[in-house]
Amino acid sequence: MASRPSPGPLLLSPGLLTAALLLTAALLGGWGLLLGSRPLRPDTLLSVLLHPSDAIDSILVWTLRLPRSLCAFVGGVGLAVSGLLLQILTRNPLAGPGLTGVTSGAVTAILLCFVLLPGFSSAYYPLVGLAGGLSAAAATAWIARGGSGKGGPMRLALGGISVALFLGAVTTYLILLSGPQSTSLFFWLSGGFQGGSWPQLLAMTPWVAIGLAGALACLRVITLFTLSEQAAAGMGLNPALWKPVLLLLAVLPVAGVAPVAGHVAFVGLASPHIARLLKPPGPGWLIGLTAALGGTMVVAADLVARTVVLPREIPVSIVAALIGGPVFLHLVRRHRFSSGTEV
Amino acid sequence: MDRTATALRSSRAHHAGSGWLVLAGCLLAVALALPLAVLLGVADIPLSDSLATLGGGGSVMARSILLDFRLPRVATGVLAGINFAVAGLLLQRITRNPLADPSIMGISQGATLAVAVFLLVSVYSHAPGGNTLPELPVAWLPAVGMLGGLGAAGLVHLLALRHDLGPMRITLCGVAIGALLHALAMGIIAGWGSTRIEILLEWLAGSLYARSWDHAAFLAPFTLAGLALLPPILRPLDLLSLDASVAQSFGLSYRRHFTLVLCLACGLASSAVGAVGPIAFVGLLTPHLARHVVGRRRRLLLPVTILLGAVVVTAGDLAGRLIGGADEIPIGVVTALLGVPVLIVLLRKTP
Repeated sequence: MASRPSPGPLLLSPGLLTAALLLTAALLGGWGLLLGSRPLRPDTLLSVLLHPSDAIDSILVWTLRLPRSLCAFVGGVGLAVSGLLLQILTRNPLAGPGLTGVTSGAVTAILLCFVLLPGFSSAYYPLVGLAGGLSAAAATAWIARGGSGKGGPMRLALGGISVALFLGAVTTYLILLSGPQSTSLFFWLSGGFQGGSWPQLLAMTPWVAIGLAGALACLRVITLFTLSEQAAAGMGLNPALWKPVLLLLAVLPVAGVAPVAGHVAFVGLASPHIARLLKPPGPGWLIGLTAALGGTMVVAADLVARTVVLPREIPVSIVAALIGGPVFLHLVRRHRFSSGTEV
Repeated sequence: MDRTATALRSSRAHHAGSGWLVLAGCLLAVALALPLAVLLGVADIPLSDSLATLGGGGSVMARSILLDFRLPRVATGVLAGINFAVAGLLLQRITRNPLADPSIMGISQGATLAVAVFLLVSVYSHAPGGNTLPELPVAWLPAVGMLGGLGAAGLVHLLALRHDLGPMRITLCGVAIGALLHALAMGIIAGWGSTRIEILLEWLAGSLYARSWDHAAFLAPFTLAGLALLPPILRPLDLLSLDASVAQSFGLSYRRHFTLVLCLACGLASSAVGAVGPIAFVGLLTPHLARHVVGRRRRLLLPVTILLGAVVVTAGDLAGRLIGGADEIPIGVVTALLGVPVLIVLLRKTP
């Protein structure tokens, strides 16, 4: 980022900032437990949380609202970490699960399985999503690199868009083929956490956790990658080995989140950039802040999505797009894309 | 040296001579594709019956299928194909970007969003249960789509041109606005649509299914007006594809002409999106195909693009009908499946 001013002192220490974000997420989540087509009073909520029972209020909180909020948080963390890793890996400010085709690949692969192989257990969907996401990312990378060897941000964006357009056409056709199920498939596809449950939370958390823990474990590698590829190679890092590892780490969370939430746009793109605006002192805190921001953003977006037009709800992707779209436009306008070294 | 000059001259003469051949070839392709698209289909109608129908006779069944279903469908496809192809060519010239296309510049997504909003609002305002689609809105769709497309192009224009962005960033702005509008459209459809999602999905894929004479009648004036406006802008268009400063030194107001051509491309593309949905890649691919066919005979580029636009959509729709059988494959899916490999080749070739 050539035009960025030198990092100034943080207003808050990074740990405090992360804690504040997590607290915000928890407060929003807690507030969300009160809201819905059957609002609860805070004291009722407290007693229900402390003493689960078979009462309607308790079921409402424990089987519907709480797992959903947790799903939204974990999903947001996963998408944000994935976006950050993709941006570092491709040294491209526009990268994210959406624009590199990763999400489309995962979603289309899962849909393909669902429509054409109905006997296939949904327990394997994350694996299917992983395969789809990795292939789509590989295809995008191959297009972006082009004949000359090095592709710019422009080519990555257009490569990702073309892969996404292709997969979008396949998806549309699959939905049309699926007949009576098309409506529910469309809801899943357009992204959101409605119906998020404990089993779903359990299914996606390990994938997100592996992505996050892996990113933190590879901190030294990521630090070197954020400098430049030459610096990384100079420090004895083998890019041919580490690039696929980082790509795998970036796709893992999306593979876990996609079977539950479908296509949630822009979170993976926007969170790392907002985290950078907070000027974390190092890649470790950048990862932490990005994860906390992603989780908080999606919890907030989910809260808006399910309460703003009660008793109906709007998909979380609308809210995410409204936040992320302007961030993207700002990036396109501000960045000078001539240098290939911006992160 | 002398020999080279002679060879050059003879090759030029050769090209000039075969220009008519290229045009004739394209006309032949049109002349083949259109009747085939009318004669072939899932409903098997004997050739003699079909020919009798076209001659004014024929059985009731054949008359109905050919004249009420296939003929308007083909006519709508031809008009939409021309619109998409010409819009793609214009966009590629003014953005100086070989990858420009209504769907990459956000125009298709803007039209989609407007149509989605309009359909859902009309469904809910006309029928409380939202179970029937009232008659009126379908006829209004193309106009609504156009407004949406113009709005999206206006946004791209505002963001890209106001800030003097280069061709790359104009395209990226288009991609960004397209993605944003697409997410909004999807969200709105999923949020409010209930029983009508299938209609919207069919339309979203880009389809000529159930297109009537009304659709063709809506599109025809846009196509004709667009084509009529083309001759006077050909020279400014040549200059626009040069650098802005060069264009200005020829006494051309770069911005005004950029805006004008953008509006024209947008009117063509978004009226087509309104009528048949966002058929992907026709605007991107047809001009490239045309460039390949005409070679150095640049004067033929526009007419060949127009003819090929008609052929590409007609042939793609026919293929989707014949391969898919009763569950026909929407033309938008066919063009995306065929178009992406070509786009990838183009992307990898672009420096």
